[in-house]
Amino acid sequence: MGYWKEIVEGGWSLVEGMRVTAKRLVRPVVTVQYPRQTIDMTLAYRGHIELKKFAESGSHRCVACGTCERTCPSHVIKVQGVKAHARSDKVATHYWIDFTRCSLCGLCVEACPTETLKFSREYQLDGETRWDGVIDLIQRLEENRS
Amino acid sequence: MDEQLLEPVRENIYQLNLGPQHPSTHGVLRVLLKLDGEYIVEAEPVIGYGHRGHEKMGENHTYLQFMPNTSRMDYLSGLIYNHGYCLAVEKMCGIEVPERARYIRVICAELNRISSHLLWFGTYVMDLGGFTPFLYCFDDREQILDLLDGVSGSRLTYSYCRFGGVNRDVDDAFVAGARRFIARLRSRWVDYHNLVTKNVIFIHRVRDVGIIDRDLALRFGVTGPNLRAAGVAYDLRKIEPYEVYDRFDFEVPIGGKGDAQDRYHVRLAEMEQSCRIIEQAIEALPAGRFRNEYRYQHVTPPKGDYYLGFESARGATGYYLVSDGSRYPYRCHIRVPSFGNLQVLTEVLKGTMVADAISILGSVDLVIPEIDR
Repeated sequence: MGYWKEIVEGGWSLVEGMRVTAKRLVRPVVTVQYPRQTIDMTLAYRGHIELKKFAESGSHRCVACGTCERTCPSHVIKVQGVKAHARSDKVATHYWIDFTRCSLCGLCVEACPTETLKFSREYQLDGETRWDGVIDLIQRLEENRS
Repeated sequence: MDEQLLEPVRENIYQLNLGPQHPSTHGVLRVLLKLDGEYIVEAEPVIGYGHRGHEKMGENHTYLQFMPNTSRMDYLSGLIYNHGYCLAVEKMCGIEVPERARYIRVICAELNRISSHLLWFGTYVMDLGGFTPFLYCFDDREQILDLLDGVSGSRLTYSYCRFGGVNRDVDDAFVAGARRFIARLRSRWVDYHNLVTKNVIFIHRVRDVGIIDRDLALRFGVTGPNLRAAGVAYDLRKIEPYEVYDRFDFEVPIGGKGDAQDRYHVRLAEMEQSCRIIEQAIEALPAGRFRNEYRYQHVTPPKGDYYLGFESARGATGYYLVSDGSRYPYRCHIRVPSFGNLQVLTEVLKGTMVADAISILGSVDLVIPEIDR
């Protein structure tokens, strides 16, 4: 390619490039101003897990079997339960998760035999210490109920 | 007589660290350069900054528990890694996968491949000094992430595939969205070519730069678009079709001499081929289950060692799993393409200038956490 030809063709390619950018200048903006505008989250969104509330009991169905605890790859979950008396079913009293270690894989949700776990829609999580990531889901469920 | 002793001592050679914080060494790559003026005499990649011990973690987790880790090695094509891992375990245990799930996996994996290539395209041009295409690519990539977010619930670390299917079914909105995206991406090619491919500055930065020819590529185990740019049509989707890739009509784009420009063209052509695969898969998407009825929580594969290779966005990847018949793999090794692609730089960078080194580093599309894992 000749010297002058290259200059002309090269210069023209820059003009063409500028034309693309100029075209975009008048197109609608694709970003949103985040704190003032938000985008709807998808239904599949995975926040940290939480307990489902069932209509018939008005509460969760966790029996503290510990399947989620054993399935979790990062040992995020710790669940405790009691039996009110010898013949009654076990009911969870505490369900702690350490969200700082959670990788949101959802294996616990799938493993739950009573299907009482679901993903929350929580995405604005912050804290000052790492203990702020430790959440008691049963307490959270009760707070949401009241 | 030792020949090195006879060589004159080169006193003006100095060392320079390129990275690990250099903006063009995406991830944490450090390249120790020995320079003579602005020419590279020797280049030595230093790896290990992103080491997290994934292979060891694999030995201490059950097969299912290791699944979330797989998308964290190559975070740009996490779904393809998920997919490959599930294929490997399914091969070990002989798990049947429903037809619908196979097609969904292919669609999502190809979308992920496009998103990975788009990110490479944007960042590569940004390394070379063009910031605008980067934003356009991210705009396009955002559409894919939205689609995958809609089915998997996550934007980067998907954990979408499961043994014997996928996590969630796709709906009509996803199918329509994928169609819309392909039409949109195709309409953007003209702009990309006008903006980047034909740009004189870009051409001068990539043409005849970093030539990885056929012999060199094969000697160093280079795979993926870097190998195909050298003219070798090696694509595991074609050569050892794994999933349902043998049912689709697509081509393996190859380049000629294997310079940065060829690698660029091969990746762009590959995106178009991925679009073709997605289109055909959507057309043929069968009804039925998206997952086996039985949910495989703790699989215990029979004793033996297994290897499954698949084509990730960067090249031939594979899981080598050794089972001792328990719930935990005895050994979990991952063959990553970026390692071979990085090794070849020791040869390629010799004799080039520092500015070209940036172009070469970008053009081979390295993901460092994948090398370190």
